[in-house]
Amino acid sequence: MLWTLVRHELLMNLMTFRFLVTIIASMSLVLAGSIVLTDNYERRLASYNKDFQKHQEGNFSGKTYSSFMPELDRAPNPLSLFNQGLDKRAKNSLQIRIGKVPFLWGDVSRNTGFSNPFRYLLADIDLVSIFQILFSLLALVFAYDAIAGDRENGTLRLILVNRVGRGWIVLAKYLGAMLCLTLPLLMSFLLALLLQLQSNAIHYSADDFFRIGGIFLTTVIYTSTFYLIGLFISSVIHRTATSLIVSMFIWVVLTLLYPNVSLFLVNRFIDTEEKVKQADQAIDQILEQFYWTEKVPGNPFENPLLLKGSKSGVTSSSTTHLKKDITFIPHESEVHVPTVKAYFQELTAARIRTAGRIWQIRETAFAETYIRKSGIARNALRFSPAGLYHLSTEAWAGTDLARMQDFFKAGRQYRETILDYFYDKKAFSSRQWFASDKGAVRWDDAPRFSYQPPSVFEDASNRALRDLLLLFVLNPILLMITFAVFSRQEV
Amino acid sequence: MLWHIVKRELFEQVNSLRFALAMLLIVFLMLVNAVGHIDEYKTRQAEYGQQVSAYSARLEGNSNNLYKLVLNGPGELHKKPSPLSFCAHGSENNLPKFASGGRAGWGIGSVSGIWRLKYSGFPSIKAKDIFPVFLKIDWILIISNVLSFLALVFTFDAISGEVEHGTLRLTLSNSIARRTVLTGKFLSCLMSLGAVFMSGVLVNLLLLYLSGTLQLNAQEWSRIGGVFVVGLIYIAVFIALGFLISTLANNASTSLVILLLIWVIWVILVPSMLGTIMSGLNQPSIRRGPSPVYFSRSGLRERYIARGLEDAAPTRKRPPTPATLLWAEFLNEEAREGARLHRAYLNAQVNQIQIAREVNRISPTAIAQYAVESLAGTGFQRHLNFLKNAERYAEEFNDFLISADRADPDSLHVPFVREGMSDKPVSFESIPKFQDRVRLGDAFKGAMLDVTLLLLFFTVLFAAAHVSFQRKEI
Repeated sequence: MLWTLVRHELLMNLMTFRFLVTIIASMSLVLAGSIVLTDNYERRLASYNKDFQKHQEGNFSGKTYSSFMPELDRAPNPLSLFNQGLDKRAKNSLQIRIGKVPFLWGDVSRNTGFSNPFRYLLADIDLVSIFQILFSLLALVFAYDAIAGDRENGTLRLILVNRVGRGWIVLAKYLGAMLCLTLPLLMSFLLALLLQLQSNAIHYSADDFFRIGGIFLTTVIYTSTFYLIGLFISSVIHRTATSLIVSMFIWVVLTLLYPNVSLFLVNRFIDTEEKVKQADQAIDQILEQFYWTEKVPGNPFENPLLLKGSKSGVTSSSTTHLKKDITFIPHESEVHVPTVKAYFQELTAARIRTAGRIWQIRETAFAETYIRKSGIARNALRFSPAGLYHLSTEAWAGTDLARMQDFFKAGRQYRETILDYFYDKKAFSSRQWFASDKGAVRWDDAPRFSYQPPSVFEDASNRALRDLLLLFVLNPILLMITFAVFSRQEV
Repeated sequence: MLWHIVKRELFEQVNSLRFALAMLLIVFLMLVNAVGHIDEYKTRQAEYGQQVSAYSARLEGNSNNLYKLVLNGPGELHKKPSPLSFCAHGSENNLPKFASGGRAGWGIGSVSGIWRLKYSGFPSIKAKDIFPVFLKIDWILIISNVLSFLALVFTFDAISGEVEHGTLRLTLSNSIARRTVLTGKFLSCLMSLGAVFMSGVLVNLLLLYLSGTLQLNAQEWSRIGGVFVVGLIYIAVFIALGFLISTLANNASTSLVILLLIWVIWVILVPSMLGTIMSGLNQPSIRRGPSPVYFSRSGLRERYIARGLEDAAPTRKRPPTPATLLWAEFLNEEAREGARLHRAYLNAQVNQIQIAREVNRISPTAIAQYAVESLAGTGFQRHLNFLKNAERYAEEFNDFLISADRADPDSLHVPFVREGMSDKPVSFESIPKFQDRVRLGDAFKGAMLDVTLLLLFFTVLFAAAHVSFQRKEI
């Protein structure tokens, strides 16, 4: 019985003008979107490859230990085509310094593959935002007359004359329309994938296909949520025209206005400046302490100059000698080398200590300001299905804040590894810390950095599934309410 | 007769559910806008004041020696924030807040290049960028997204609904011309939506005024008036579109479904996709800004070396030696060439965006946005005007340097080589200061094309609606 009803609904929907429009609109928008996004991704990848090459050569070319200052790059995420999240906007490189803990904080110039910085004026849209706007609208367009229309035509009464439960009717309408909506959605996804795989730049692993599957599933559930909202409105309101108007108002509020208004207000009224200023002051204080009070006495490069007559390669001229490469030390200055060694050992130890203290302040300040603010914003978004959809797909795509932080965490771990490696090599107290006259440092056994993003299951279980579940829970609730309303109604 | 129809339609509309919803929505959004912008302008104004005083302090510091001004230039020229940013935010976060007139960044021996205008200053990535992206709730968002949507909701059943109910036949059985009916319906729709818009605007301005944020002069009030008019024309475009589809479709629901699809594509998706596609196809021809050392690679230096540039250094000898004159010529030409290269790089960048903007004008939403941005003094067009102001000032500043040098009897009057110029202090008061301002003419001129285009859209759509209504069988 159910099957007959579903088939009937399906046929009714497939033959309509709106189904045709759905197919055409979604396919053409996905086509246009994919072309822009793929092109943009190719540019970003090229820019990343260039940087990566440059840094790969540069990172281990230092002749002394103190000149080890590697730059690590974050590869652009191909899934940012689906949901760009923070992939383009967060820092995409980090520097490993002995005296600084790498962090998602601090100003860096943008490097996202655009040769034209004005390009940020043009809006960038990703596939998920196309689906978010288009399919929620289409779901409501399919739903607004599902019950109200049948009631107006009198067909509802006709169907109910047969021995069909009202629950079956609601369920059949739901299944029929969802099949109809899933078809164009599936086609759009396949088209997008096809176009993306045409490009040589994009390679998806099995893990990525799981992620895309997750995005697809989330999109289906999102569409279904809006269909059920429409069905509910259609069962409550008796005239199709009114039902359509109400649906549209709800659509505008849920997808367009609520997310933007809530973020606008959160951004305006959660103030972070005060705490950031406090943290900056505390950091300045520590730095001042480091430079003035804690500064190790006996700088061997100021009066008196200990290594007289030595020659230097590339060095930085700051008073703390971040980078030192002495290529020649005359014999008569050799007696002073142990003093210089001791000086550097103490200086480096002080610097590592200072870095640790600054990092502690930063970490707490960051968690209390920017992270907290963005967390509040995310929670505000969760009150709208569109927000839930966005958050869940962002986690599936791995372009969200957690992923960006994960990259920096890997960078910090790498710094720790390097420090351990230096301790093992006794690098801080060695001559090669500051001088390469007795041979340059060999980096053969130095640890290399490689970033392994967390697997899809980790991302899903931590974040994506939570929002997906919230979105999903709305479905049975809405279905139940619709059924309750519909079964008590006079037809 | 027309007035009678308008009155009847208006009465019907004002009493409907959608009018109440529309009023609620617009007034709420305008309130959100006002609440979000209270104090924002003050903070930005204070920030701007600080930057300007830093600029003056720098200029004053350099004024103890004329040649220091020649080398260091006027420093960072800051863009004045617009008091009307609540009308259109204009992605100001993605635009530079200043142009810098600073050192050339090269030197040969004792001679350094003289100052020039550079167009850098794009904002960098900051920690606060981890906040999710959203659209700023400004007037133009409310107009372009919400009011256009409301226009469709108000008009979708204007004709098709009455055809369904049979009331249109009844109306036309009286001796009324069809165009009178259409015009009457149009006017009543425009009036009711205009009333909704007007109430939102009044609430918004009242709140901003009471909070002391709004202290505008006559020029800025007239710009707000301009924004309001653009909003009305934009609404009229969508009312005409609604009538057109409503006469073409057979029943009200179909017409709304079609209208919504057109709306989603035309208002939301096209402005954010089409221009981006076109600009992707037109990458800027110059990919890198001129670096300070370019002059050593370009033929310019070789040409002058061939003429004996590096054989002799400039001297203070009187009358000026040929070497001094040659150096002066080289410095002038190098500065001109440098400025030209910076300008060419800028032009290549601007060109890509201009193409995208031209293409985006297929959608009235983009047109209205550009017009409102232009009137509000924010956004891309305003940035270009600011750069023009900066260029004008750069010329003025150079003229001042020459005339200050003329005033010194001890100088050789060979600008801009150090030995040929005055080394004396100049009075800080006499140095021209950069003052950025929005000219009313610029603002209206920038909006003119867009307003004309909007009117064109309206005329075409309304005429089409008229024709199809005339031919419709009822």
